[in-house]
Amino acid sequence: MQVAELDVRNRSGLHARPAATFVKTAAAFRSKVSIENLTRGSKPANAKSLLAVLGCGVEQGHRIQVSAEGEDEVAAIEAVRKLAEGDFGEAPKG
Amino acid sequence: MSTRIAGTPGAAGVAVGPTWRYSATGTAEARRMPPAVGDPGEALHAAALEAASQLEALADRVRDLGRPDEAGIFEAQAMMATDPELLDEAVARAEAGEDAVSAVRAAADAVGATLAALPDELLAARAADVRDVGARIARILLGEEMDLPGVPSVAVADDLPPSVAAEIPPGFLLGVALEGGSITAHAVILARGLGIPAIVGAKGLTRAAVSATSVAVDGGSGEIVLDPGPDEVADFAARAAALEESRRAAAALRGRPGATADGERVALLANIGSPEDAPRALDAGAEGVGLFRTEFLFMKRQTAPAEAEQVAAYAAAFTAFGPERPVVVRLADIGGDKAIPYLDLPAEANPFLGVRAIRLAAHGSRELLLTQLRAIWRAAGRAGVTPHVMAPMVATLDDARLLLELRDQARADAAATGDPLPEGMVTGVMVEIPSAAILAPELARIVDFFSIGTNDLTQYTMAADRGNPALGHLQDALHPAVLRLIRDVVAGADESHIPVAVCGELAGDPAGALVLVGLGVDELSADAGSLDGIRAALAAVTRAELDDLAGRALAAGDAETVRAMARQLLGRSGQTAAH
Repeated sequence: MQVAELDVRNRSGLHARPAATFVKTAAAFRSKVSIENLTRGSKPANAKSLLAVLGCGVEQGHRIQVSAEGEDEVAAIEAVRKLAEGDFGEAPKG
Repeated sequence: MSTRIAGTPGAAGVAVGPTWRYSATGTAEARRMPPAVGDPGEALHAAALEAASQLEALADRVRDLGRPDEAGIFEAQAMMATDPELLDEAVARAEAGEDAVSAVRAAADAVGATLAALPDELLAARAADVRDVGARIARILLGEEMDLPGVPSVAVADDLPPSVAAEIPPGFLLGVALEGGSITAHAVILARGLGIPAIVGAKGLTRAAVSATSVAVDGGSGEIVLDPGPDEVADFAARAAALEESRRAAAALRGRPGATADGERVALLANIGSPEDAPRALDAGAEGVGLFRTEFLFMKRQTAPAEAEQVAAYAAAFTAFGPERPVVVRLADIGGDKAIPYLDLPAEANPFLGVRAIRLAAHGSRELLLTQLRAIWRAAGRAGVTPHVMAPMVATLDDARLLLELRDQARADAAATGDPLPEGMVTGVMVEIPSAAILAPELARIVDFFSIGTNDLTQYTMAADRGNPALGHLQDALHPAVLRLIRDVVAGADESHIPVAVCGELAGDPAGALVLVGLGVDELSADAGSLDGIRAALAAVTRAELDDLAGRALAAGDAETVRAMARQLLGRSGQTAAH
């Protein structure tokens, strides 16, 4: 299993478009991918479900943990890490 | 026979037209259709895929129409339609014996309730989106087509989801009357954008409208008339014409400074929440900014904003308005109810009466306020303007002295960086705590201006939580008790010849604006969208009429009486229809 802790810096957190981008990225891999909101202390949720990701209530400034388990787990975590570094395609301020 | 129903005004405007009813659960006849045959799981998956493809097509269409925000909603809804959280729950319910239609509606309700329970208001809108997706899948399972209006109509519904509103061809939606919803509902925002009337919270509407064929709505008053008679239709048509005329007249005054009919100047300023609000304020003819809220820099982050980041934000606003249009920066009104991780403040039982704003300086956050003041000095130097600053939550003379001391220390520190700095900073205090209003004569001797925050001044004077819907009668800033405090603040300011502004909601309400100027307030600051209305209201009355209104308002027994007096004066000058 691969695990990464990431900071969510973009304005709307994992809502709206950034959440959709995150889910589409996770869904592109065969591995099981899950997300936890460490700031809120939520339970692990299916990262391939938009509704589950929205349910984590990730806001700007929160820290998340993403885990992947499966044949392409390394690539999956790498892709999610890149996404977070690019602020999920959304400006950090606004 | 016509039926009259009262709702809450959502968006101004008047419309008369055929009714078009929308219900998320479809018609009674459709619900009696036999359930789909075959495996409920397969039927659900097929219907979900169809719903996703419909929503993707809808997203493409509105994006082509230049509405990317709406397209984003529908793209997210397309993903929700096939989301395992929703579908697995629906299939599980169907396998347990529920029919597929009930199963998907119940699953959408359950998922929506989970999202709505999170402490984040944005997710409440997502909850409504999930339920709407459930309704769409249910319609597909039932083989129902959405029954869209075939002629321009007034929508009558419990709620009108964005995905339904977007399917209505342009020009076919004349107005919106909702039994549910709040004034922040998507349908209301849509109506404002389209310039059509919207009314929400009209109790009993959907039941009363079951057999209605036409409806008249006045979004300014909240009146709904089902099956209006010829006289009522003529009345609403006259209101529509008067509204159009007064909007045209108000817009024609744009670009002129605010003044009464006999030429007494009243500066009309805009409230802004970030530098990005500047173009809208300038378009509306704002003579400056009376309230630049800076919380956007401090909220939703793990560390305090750096000085350089703040300098850039303030300089952007100062540059947009230039040296002729002053921008009053309000120091961060944070703490208390707004959790700020980097301030490490303890939770408080009464956050609105707690450690917040200027009070933070004495509780370990002096540096936070100094950094903000340094950034304002440097931004003003960079933009070549004289900075205007005010502190919220000032209760005592010591609070005001602390503000002046922080200001001077910040200038000395900023000067050390070698950046060019302006000579002085126009420094004021917000009057929103009754003690500050009582101490106005003394405060006026040491500060340069007052800005009255009517929302908080009312909350603290009446000891009534702004957010508690049970206390509506104690939340009206036109209550004579609040007005007498405002009178005293003006008197205290006059002794030292300093100006008084009002930046609360009351300033943006034409009736409230007349009372405030009557009491001697010099400047009004409101949302850019309110400026046309208050400019037109002031231009239609004289100083003598406002003095008379203020005198009667101070002697009145309650806020409703004051509002009626102000509305009467507005009506006489032909401005009632505007808002």
